[in-house]
Amino acid sequence: MSALAVHYERKTPQHHVLLSVPQGAVTRAHLPDEEAKAHLVTALLKARGEPDESVELFGVSAAELKPRERARVRARVGAVSPVVGLLYNLNAWENISLPAAYHRTAPLADVAALAREVIVAFGGEPDRFLACVPDELTMLERKVAAFVRLLVAAPELMVFDALEEGLSHTECKCVARFETLYRAHRPAGTVLYVDTREDS
Amino acid sequence: MFQALREIEGGISLSLNVAARLPRLRRPPILESFLRQVYFTGVTAATGVVLRATMLGVLIVAVMMDMLDADVDLAVKILLLLVFRELGPLVAAVVVILRTGTAVSAEMAMMRISGQTRALNYLGIDLYDYLVLPRVLGIMLATAALTLYIQFLAVFGGLVLSPFIIEASFTELAGRLFDLFTPVDFIYSIIKSFLFGFGVAAVCCWQGLNPPDLTQNSVPKVVTRAVTQSTLLVLLVNALFAYLVFGILFFGLVKANV
Repeated sequence: MSALAVHYERKTPQHHVLLSVPQGAVTRAHLPDEEAKAHLVTALLKARGEPDESVELFGVSAAELKPRERARVRARVGAVSPVVGLLYNLNAWENISLPAAYHRTAPLADVAALAREVIVAFGGEPDRFLACVPDELTMLERKVAAFVRLLVAAPELMVFDALEEGLSHTECKCVARFETLYRAHRPAGTVLYVDTREDS
Repeated sequence: MFQALREIEGGISLSLNVAARLPRLRRPPILESFLRQVYFTGVTAATGVVLRATMLGVLIVAVMMDMLDADVDLAVKILLLLVFRELGPLVAAVVVILRTGTAVSAEMAMMRISGQTRALNYLGIDLYDYLVLPRVLGIMLATAALTLYIQFLAVFGGLVLSPFIIEASFTELAGRLFDLFTPVDFIYSIIKSFLFGFGVAAVCCWQGLNPPDLTQNSVPKVVTRAVTQSTLLVLLVNALFAYLVFGILFFGLVKANV
């Protein structure tokens, strides 16, 4: 039996959410409502649970993590989610390169090459795309920008939160390729799709 | 009362945080944000103050000589004292509060309300590093630069344009100016403008990051609080600074003669 990337449990008077995500697997989680989904995504991104939640990431209980350990675990998790939106006063390139430039995790030339590659793969025109602020981008383009920003770091656990929300049928087919692109950069990575039952 | 204490404590903690993070200014996005802030606060404000600062100098010389019957010596002395010690830094601070203080506090409050500060947190980007440090340093530097610019324009305007409305020549006024000018005035005004810039930036960042609630309605409240508190802080620092420097440092404690 493979090790778990995520073990999550939350009991409320309304719901009991129990989720186990094996490392390297692709898992789809349908949460009962938006509130439950927001709790799960937030707990994974913060590597910390509320009192009614139990969170284990990569085999370690989040409650036992010290601040430095928590920061390290958080760096292994990424999400394309409305919770981690683009910054509206930065253009797409600045949004994409911000974490890499701040953490100095990758040379900006590599980030630019990757961004161009992905934008072209999704049928965009890189120069225009990268110069636009989020308000000038379509919903699909915003998701692509958020995805490229994450792809630079290629986290071990990739969470796709309501990925198809606000997209047309054709665009949904486009974003389905996120997983393939992610796998190309991190073959052993774990993918978790989350949505609510109403979405699915 | 509790709210006021909380804000003072917040301001002090913000100041210490900025001081401790100075080396992080070398990181590219932080440096870029710092340069943007200097450009927005200093460069774009510069064009707007040209006429006002020039007329300020003319007004001071004209009022002194024409209305109060002062001689050239006294008029230039007052021009120097007023412009360098008081009006230069104060006018720059007012311009910074009105243009930058409002913008910074509103922008930060909007970022907080729309969840963008949370997004930064999830990306592992420290808010003090990315939002506060470049703004505080940028506003400090730009306030000092703007002060110098306003001082130069006011003195230059006073010297060049006053001869058209009073009976004194440019050379006469300029000669007295160079005789009376002391570096103390210059250093004093620069230190003061750095303090003003720091105070304004710290108050606006603190207010912006701590809106009363997370609704759109709190943005105007944040801006109003930021403007009123930073104005009060600037006036307080001005009074304290004047008392410390000119009341104690140079002349000893001022005592009333009975």
